[in-house]
Amino acid sequence: MAFLELTHIHKAFGGAAAVQDFSLTVERGEFVSFLGPSGCGKTTVLRMIAGFETPTAGQITVNGRDLTAVPPNRRNIGMVFQSYALFPNMTAAGNIGFGLTVAGRPRAEIDRRVRAMLELVRLSDFAGRYPYQLSGGQQQRVALARALAIQPELLLLDEPLSALDAKVRAEVRGEIRRIQRELGITTVFVTHDQEEAMSISDRVVVMNKGAIEQVATPFEVYNYPRTAFVASFVGTLNRLACTVVDAAAGTVRHNGAVFATPAPLERPAGAGVVLMLRPEELRLGEAGGENRLPGVVTSVQFLGAIVRVQLQHGETPITLDLFNERQLRLPEVGQAYTISFPPHACWVMAPNGHGPSDDHP
Amino acid sequence: MKRANWAAWLIVLLGALFFLLPIYGTLDFSLRAQKGVLSLKAYELVFADAKFLETFTFSVQRATLTIVFSLLLIVPTAYWVHLKLPQWRPVIEFITLLPFVIPAVVLVFGLIRTYSRPPLALTGSPATTDLLLVGGYIVITLPYMYRAVDAGLRALDVRALTEAAQSLGAGWPAILLRVVFPNLRGAVISGALITFATVIGELILAVFLARPAFGPYMAQLGNFRAYEPAALAIISYALTWASLALIDVFARGSRDASQAAAVR
Repeated sequence: MAFLELTHIHKAFGGAAAVQDFSLTVERGEFVSFLGPSGCGKTTVLRMIAGFETPTAGQITVNGRDLTAVPPNRRNIGMVFQSYALFPNMTAAGNIGFGLTVAGRPRAEIDRRVRAMLELVRLSDFAGRYPYQLSGGQQQRVALARALAIQPELLLLDEPLSALDAKVRAEVRGEIRRIQRELGITTVFVTHDQEEAMSISDRVVVMNKGAIEQVATPFEVYNYPRTAFVASFVGTLNRLACTVVDAAAGTVRHNGAVFATPAPLERPAGAGVVLMLRPEELRLGEAGGENRLPGVVTSVQFLGAIVRVQLQHGETPITLDLFNERQLRLPEVGQAYTISFPPHACWVMAPNGHGPSDDHP
Repeated sequence: MKRANWAAWLIVLLGALFFLLPIYGTLDFSLRAQKGVLSLKAYELVFADAKFLETFTFSVQRATLTIVFSLLLIVPTAYWVHLKLPQWRPVIEFITLLPFVIPAVVLVFGLIRTYSRPPLALTGSPATTDLLLVGGYIVITLPYMYRAVDAGLRALDVRALTEAAQSLGAGWPAILLRVVFPNLRGAVISGALITFATVIGELILAVFLARPAFGPYMAQLGNFRAYEPAALAIISYALTWASLALIDVFARGSRDASQAAAVR
C-alpha cells in the first residue's frame, strides 16, 4: 500500500471547482512535485493534505490512517511556507523547538533535538538570532528545520524557494534534497517553476485547471509529455501547424516541406495536426536528420552553456538551441540556414491540444 | 532646504506652546497658595488628604482590571475576525466606534437601569457595582484598544503564522498565548497606555455609579478649593506619566529578559 494516498479528491470554493478528481499515490521516501501555473489547484491540494482545507469529496490517507477529517494540529505533517512564517517573537532555536514545546516534551530532549536540527540545516551558530536578523535563505532553512523537528510522517513544501533570489534558491534547493534523502522523508513540493520541479523530484505531477495532466519522472514529463499542455508548460517548444500527408507512413506537410515522423498517425490524410519540436533537437545545417526546412536568423542569445537562436521560417518563428563550445562560430542575424531534425524528434498532436502524441507507446 | 527647516521648527514650537502653556499656567498657579511667594503649600495640603491616595489607588486598580479584561475580550475577537471573518471587519470596526457616538451619561444610565433590578441587580454592593464600572470602562476605551490591536494584527501574517503553529501541533490556546499575544506586544502596550490614561481621569461613570474614583475626587476638590486642584492636576499628570513609563519599562524589560533567555 502506498504511503500517501489521495483518492478522488474534489474541492469547490463557492460554485467554482478548484480541484477535480485528483487521485495520486506516493511511496514512502519519495519526493513528488506538484507543477502547474498559478490557479491550477496545486496549493489547494497541498493545503488539503496539511488539513487547512477540507475536501468537498474524496479521501486522504497517510500510512494507512484516514486523515480526511483530522484537524491540522493532529496530523503530524510538517509544512514549510512560501513566506517562511517564522514566529517573529522567537529565536531560530525557539522556532525550531516550538512544536516540541507545545507537545510538552522535556527540556533536555527539546534542546538536543533543536541542536541536531540546527546542525542538519548548517545553522548551528545562529541559534540565538531572531528571524529579522537572518537572511531569506537562512530563514527558510530555519523553517525547514522547524517543520522537521517534530519528526513528521510527511513533509509539505509550498513554493518554499520563490521568495529567494536565484543563487540562494539553487543553494536551498540542493539543501532540501540533501536533507530529504538523508532523512528518507516522504515529501510533496509545490512549485510553478518547471526547472525547480525537474531538478529536485523523483516524480512530477503536472496540473492544469484543477486536474492532473500527467504524473511521471522528470525525464518522461519532459521527453514524453502526454498532453499539449504538459508539452508547452514544461520547457520551450516549437509548434508547426501541419497537415497529414500519409497517415500510415507518418508524414506531414508544413509550408511545402514534408516531414517524416516516427510512427503511423491516427488522423486521416488532409487533417490538421500540430508538430512539436524541442529547440535542442534541431540543428543548424543538414547534419541533424532527414527533416529539413529553411530559416533566417532573427536573434542570437548567448546564455552561457547554451546559445539560443531565433529563426523565421515564413510566418513561423523557430527557436533552436546550440551547445556552447570555444570553437563555435555564432550565427549572425539575417543569415539563412537549413534547419534539420530527425523523425524521432517529432511529436504530433491534434490541433485542439487534447489528443495524446502518437510517437511513443 | 533652510527655509523648510525653519518652518518645521516653527510648527513644532507652536505645537509645544499649545500643549505646554496650559500646563505651565497650572503649575505656576499651583505654586501661589501663599500670597506673594512661590511655595509648595497646595501640594502639602493635597498630600495631607488621605482621600487623595485612596482614590488614586482605587482608579489604578480599576484601570489595571480594565486593561486585562479588555485584552482578553478584544485580542481573541480581533484575531478571529482577521483569520476567519475578514469580510466582517468593517462591521466590527463600526461597532467599536459606537462608544465615541454614545455619550458616557447615556451609557451609565443604561447600565444603571438594566442592572439595578432583578434578574441582574448589580448596583446593590460596591463589589458588583465595580463590575459595572470596569465593564463601562471597557466599553469607553474599546475604540482605542481595538484599533491598537487591529493595527498590530495587520502588521502580522496572521494566517501563515496560525497555520505554521497548527502544523507544528499547536491548538488554539497555544496559538493565542505563544504566538498571537507575544507578537502583539507593541500594540497591546500602546492600547494599554491609552486605556490607563483614560480610566484614571474618567469622571461620569464613577460619579453616577457613586464609586470613590480619582476623577470625581478631582472634580469635587475643584468645587471648593482654588489652589489645591491645580496642584492635584500637576500631581495627576506626573503620576499618570510615571505609570505610563512604568508600563513601558516593564513591557520592554520583559522583552529583554525573554530575548536573553532565548539567546542563552
